[in-house]
Amino acid sequence: MSGPGPSAGSAPSPTLPLSYLVTAVAAFVLACAAVPALAPELAGHYYHPRLAALAHTVTLGWITLSILGASYQLIPIVLARPIWSQRLARWQFWILAVGIAGMVSHFYIGRWPGLLMAAVMVGAGVAMHVVNVAMTLSSVERWRLTARFIAMAFTGLGLTVLFGLLLAADRLWKFLPGGFFPTLHAHFHLALLGFVAPAVMGVAARVYPMFLLAPEPSGWPERVQFWGLALGVPGVVTGLLGVPALVVPGAIAVAAASAAHLTWVSRMARDRKRPALDWGLRFVLTGSAFLIAAGTVGLGLAFDLLSGPRAALAYAVLALGGWVSLTIVGMMLKIIPFLVWYRIYSPQVGRVPVPTLARLGWPAAEALAYALLTGGVAAVAAALAVGDARLIGAAGVILAAGALCFAAAVARVLYHMAPSGRRPAAAAGARTA
Amino acid sequence: MADRPQALRRITEANEVHLDVREDIRRGQDPFARIMATVKALGPEQALVLRAPFEPVPLLAVLRKRGFAHWALQSAPDDWTVWFYRDPSAPAEAGGGARAAASTEGDMAVLDVRGLEPPEPMVQILERLDTLRPGQRLVVLHERRPMLLYPQLDERGFLHDTEEVEPGLVRIVVRRPAPPS
Repeated sequence: MSGPGPSAGSAPSPTLPLSYLVTAVAAFVLACAAVPALAPELAGHYYHPRLAALAHTVTLGWITLSILGASYQLIPIVLARPIWSQRLARWQFWILAVGIAGMVSHFYIGRWPGLLMAAVMVGAGVAMHVVNVAMTLSSVERWRLTARFIAMAFTGLGLTVLFGLLLAADRLWKFLPGGFFPTLHAHFHLALLGFVAPAVMGVAARVYPMFLLAPEPSGWPERVQFWGLALGVPGVVTGLLGVPALVVPGAIAVAAASAAHLTWVSRMARDRKRPALDWGLRFVLTGSAFLIAAGTVGLGLAFDLLSGPRAALAYAVLALGGWVSLTIVGMMLKIIPFLVWYRIYSPQVGRVPVPTLARLGWPAAEALAYALLTGGVAAVAAALAVGDARLIGAAGVILAAGALCFAAAVARVLYHMAPSGRRPAAAAGARTA
Repeated sequence: MADRPQALRRITEANEVHLDVREDIRRGQDPFARIMATVKALGPEQALVLRAPFEPVPLLAVLRKRGFAHWALQSAPDDWTVWFYRDPSAPAEAGGGARAAASTEGDMAVLDVRGLEPPEPMVQILERLDTLRPGQRLVVLHERRPMLLYPQLDERGFLHDTEEVEPGLVRIVVRRPAPPS
């Protein structure tokens, strides 16, 4: 395939993904700070309006906005296709931001009509994203693993939001059949396994090798990851909704996908040409290690070896706080400096000295964030399993401190966008033409 | 000139695949895609015997990364024969792709940025373009289409052409437009 490369309109403006990512970081700090504040509620049952507010701050405010923002940065790079409409993406951001803030606040105060209205806004924002991604993917010629995972992830996101809308409407009109908790569990697993898991695995397929300087993996783990999720997620969700016999085979298929993913990541880490890992990559690899713990507890729940709200809360924290959040933190420590560097310094390369990417970050804050966030997530999961409010509060303080360090590291990078934060031409570490 | 290497001596004439690109180059055509297609079709026991009007230095680096050793023979000032063969005993390339490989031949400079962490490929390319002489082309070997580089090239007034040679190998030719007559 030969021809002129795409032109200037092919690359998204860095401010588009940055608006999503920075808002997501704010939601992460808010969620982590809420953990010690909500320790008494967290020591009880998870079905509590304030815990629903916390859960949606994490899932929508932090995880979903991160994935959507990263997709606007990564899809053009890994699929070599420009985003179909950047204008739509900018409108979608504001609709989502207002909708998510509305959902979280109405969950917190327990007002269901307002919750439904806010959920409709989130649904509209997600629908806009799904349309944007679908139109972008429609021009992809070779459906490699990443493209298939992205399609799976945003299908999963659409279904999760639709499911959530039905749950919100059910609070007012009570029309859904079946028990409330199985439906709630199905909603959670559709989000985690149908949306977040394929998004992380799809990104890992192309982006981890790029940063680890490792060969792109191939072979059986690729197929097992894809088909494990493609078959396992419908099994788990349908099983939870009313066909219990499907839960265990579905969970086994998802566990196989997770094992294949871990095999893949460990191969990339082993075969990497990059001798030293920066803090971003350490976060990513540690996040992957949390998948082992989350998967073990998840299988324990599926096989009825574990039960009750304590195990369920610990499972949610290991999966969302450990695997997903640490992975996202690591990716953000790679992506945000790149976006800022690209916007501020790339036009000057070859003309004047510019700082290297490594000079934009704040390694001390990143190191502290690594210690506090990894330790904090493990401590919160353990404290939730025990169910002691004081322990949960103490572990939550560690987590919140880690989130603040992470936010400080991100803020240091963003400071380069202010004229006063730009490095002078003769700064140490700058490169010349 | 060095003796014919031991690994090459083991390859029979029947396993030599000959490709003569002298005429392509004389006509101003770029034989890179043809060479890579031939390399791709080589069997494990086969060697490529390439005839060119000069020692194809950029190609040596590209094929070395793909596990090919080479042995060159100059019969005339404008007649080179180069054998490319697989040699497991050959030392692996130092640096493991952590540094861009660059070379210049006539009006064509080659820059291999595969194996570099973003945004280093963009930095290497833009810095190299700054030193490009009028009429000279920069051939960039990349792992993927550099979507974020294209706006920079457009903004700086360079013309570019991208070809996906095979999965994991993209070739971008960048040049300055001819000055208005």
